[in-house]
Amino acid sequence: MKRFEYADELISEREIMIAIPSIVIGVGILSLPRFLATVTTAADGWISILAGGVLAIGMTWIIAKLAASFPHQSFLSYASRIVTKPVAVVLTFLFAFFFLQVVAFQVREIADISKQYLFNRTPVEVLALVFLLVVVYAVSGSRAGLFRLNMMFFPIILFISSLVIFFSINRFESEHLFPMFQTSFTGYLKGLGSAATSYIGFGILWFYLSLVRQPSKAPKYAITGMCIPVVLYMVIFIACIGVFGNEVTQNLLFPVVELAKGAEIPGEFFERFESVFFTIWIMAIFNTTTLGLDISVFALTQIFKNTPKYTIIFILSPLVYVTAMYPQNLIEVSSFGTYIGYVIFGYTVFVAVLLLVVGKLRGVKALG
Amino acid sequence: MNVVARRRKRKREKMRNSNGQDENFSRFLEKELEKNIENLKIMLGDPTDLVVRQFPIGGSEHRCAIAYIDGLVNEDLVQSHMMKNVQLIANSKQLPDETTDLFEVIYDKIISAVNTEKGYTLDDLSLALLSGDTLFYLDGIDQVLISDTKFWESRSIEEPVSETLIRGPRDGFVENIQTNMVHLRRHIRDPNLRFKQHYVGRRSKKLLVAAYVDGIINPAIVKEVNRRLETIDMDDAPESGYIEQWIEDSFLSPFPQTLVTERPDKVSTALMDGKLAIFLDGTPFVLIVPATLGNTLQSPEDYYERWTIGTLLRALRYLSAFIAIFLPALYIALVSYHPGLIPSKLAFSIAATREGVPFPPLLEALLMVVTMELLREAGARLPTTIGETIGIVGGLVIGDAAVQAGIVSPVMVIVVALNAIASFSIPEYGVAIAFRLLLFVFVFAAAVFGLFGIILAYIMLNIHIVNLKSVGVPYSAPFAPTFIEDWGDLVVRMPIPNLTRRPKYMETVDDKSIDLGGKDK
Repeated sequence: MKRFEYADELISEREIMIAIPSIVIGVGILSLPRFLATVTTAADGWISILAGGVLAIGMTWIIAKLAASFPHQSFLSYASRIVTKPVAVVLTFLFAFFFLQVVAFQVREIADISKQYLFNRTPVEVLALVFLLVVVYAVSGSRAGLFRLNMMFFPIILFISSLVIFFSINRFESEHLFPMFQTSFTGYLKGLGSAATSYIGFGILWFYLSLVRQPSKAPKYAITGMCIPVVLYMVIFIACIGVFGNEVTQNLLFPVVELAKGAEIPGEFFERFESVFFTIWIMAIFNTTTLGLDISVFALTQIFKNTPKYTIIFILSPLVYVTAMYPQNLIEVSSFGTYIGYVIFGYTVFVAVLLLVVGKLRGVKALG
Repeated sequence: MNVVARRRKRKREKMRNSNGQDENFSRFLEKELEKNIENLKIMLGDPTDLVVRQFPIGGSEHRCAIAYIDGLVNEDLVQSHMMKNVQLIANSKQLPDETTDLFEVIYDKIISAVNTEKGYTLDDLSLALLSGDTLFYLDGIDQVLISDTKFWESRSIEEPVSETLIRGPRDGFVENIQTNMVHLRRHIRDPNLRFKQHYVGRRSKKLLVAAYVDGIINPAIVKEVNRRLETIDMDDAPESGYIEQWIEDSFLSPFPQTLVTERPDKVSTALMDGKLAIFLDGTPFVLIVPATLGNTLQSPEDYYERWTIGTLLRALRYLSAFIAIFLPALYIALVSYHPGLIPSKLAFSIAATREGVPFPPLLEALLMVVTMELLREAGARLPTTIGETIGIVGGLVIGDAAVQAGIVSPVMVIVVALNAIASFSIPEYGVAIAFRLLLFVFVFAAAVFGLFGIILAYIMLNIHIVNLKSVGVPYSAPFAPTFIEDWGDLVVRMPIPNLTRRPKYMETVDDKSIDLGGKDK
């Protein structure tokens, strides 16, 4: 029962467990408390986060089960078996297309936030370009390398989040959390929308499960991984509301970064902790972006089998850059993000349902 | 007999094909003694240090000769085991008249040197002769006996200068590969210890030995390393650095992908972890593959001291690695881009000391770091006594004077000094150098993009490390791919009885290093 075969490029289930939160946790959470505070009262948003989380965990499990029943087969090959080749090609292509937009959105957001918290003179275009180049460098390497990067960065991300939350405790005022359960049903529903779309990214399982050494074990690890962002989001959200109160949170552009701004690190070694926090958070955004771009590349290499990976990367990167630079202002970026969230979530659910139903109807045998 | 003859014939044909050009001597042994000696002399250009002595065997009409290179052989051995025996045989034994039989008798009974073989081609002979063996020719037969009589002056065993320990064995490897292999044997008395021989260098024909413990090491690694060693094709390999650079996975990487050591104890520990050591004749530096990033920050002393101290030292080394790479870059980023991040009081005092410094922080840092490198290099090249002067001149005079003259700020001097000290505390010299190199990358990243630049450079460094392999083993193991089981001997060094498993990422055949009463701990 050896988990690590000498010099192979497969990934372990544990790496899948880390890859899920790595792609989920990105720029979304930085502004999520604002969206939720707007549509819910006091700290009720956590219910939406939990509900969205349960939904996401459910989807993760379904996708992982489905993909794991075709061990070591690419998405294109098993989708072709279920819904015929042309349809599968279209599905794969759309995945590549949508994930590319996620990448563009992340690149734009990181440039915007960096400008806001780290620089004021450097143009967004330059920041985005530099970041994108690093992402391209990562994706050009081995695929197993990306998972190792996730493994390297994820503990640091968890650590910095815990640090921010921990040092916000003394500013936490519990009266901000009350009154509880005063939100209307539509409020929760709207909140659910924002929350659920902040969990997008579990769609990577469609593709990466073919690389897992023991696919049968993967679903368990995948949903464990999905639980991490759910818990983290809830804690962060409650911390934001507890510190700022609902009203203030609504008016903060990035409440989580502001939370870090107020964190009181003993010894006063860092005056403005939010810059440090955001600098570290770049790793989280980087993880999301690389996995997103890699999924696009992975999907396209399945369609264009004879095209080298590098060619695809070199074609995609300018597209990402142009898309990222297209929105003219922060409001457009924000609505771009919302649109991406809904589209990806909807599309992933759609593909899952489609493959499940058609698979059942046509009676495709699971194991290839 | 037939089989041997056929093999010899085949070998001759092969030789003819490969060395088709005209030479003024034959590469094959003749039956005539004179002819053979002449061929040998022509091939070697009749050197002054070639000793050839012809004499008759014990009073019979058979003529024979011995040849060796003066200074490479133990002459007492030649005298007592060969000359004497051969000259005196007639007294004790009935000699056969047939030359072939006589040759066999001499081989079996007369020559008493321990290691004696038969040689069939001039190439066999010249390699043996030049390695310090003695040749025995017999007139009338196209074979030669090669006796191992190697002996030459070598440095006595001393404490390794490049890796000093406070506690640990004081012996180090020397230039003689035989001595080094003996060293290793004395550490590991396992019958499974294997020495796989290679000869490297088209012209130098140096002995290279890959040592490993069969039954621990993953056979795939042995196969891969031997495959790479066989591809080596160069004129000479003066030092194991040539070998390292030939077999490494990525020549673009700043990181060394082999560990280099002069310490037998370090090699034996590495072999116990399922690694492979490469010895090269003529150098005390032994290569250990595969290497990982974690290995480069470990010192044998971590295991010799108690585990609390070992752990503390390890943690300290990770901190110093961090300082060695990041400190000047962080200083530049904070001072030039994010002064708001520095606590106000400190920010004021830094600003005050920077008053009157005409250069931007980047230039200031480069000035000091380059000066530091110059001092280090100058100190390394000079004899120890003068080297100390360099330290005084550099550290005190230049540092102090530069601050007095207002060229650099005192904080920058502190930063650079701390950085240099940190990089000296890294046990692997090659990695310390790599860190110094990376320092410049980070300094420039910080100068252009501040903290954003540093984190992106850090991410790129990580991308590079996770894609790097050493003989197929991920350089970033056991961090990622993650092997939690191996973390007990990484940053933390667990107590010795708890280190029951060999590193998992090495995929060893036998994964248990300590068996506690058969219990699976």
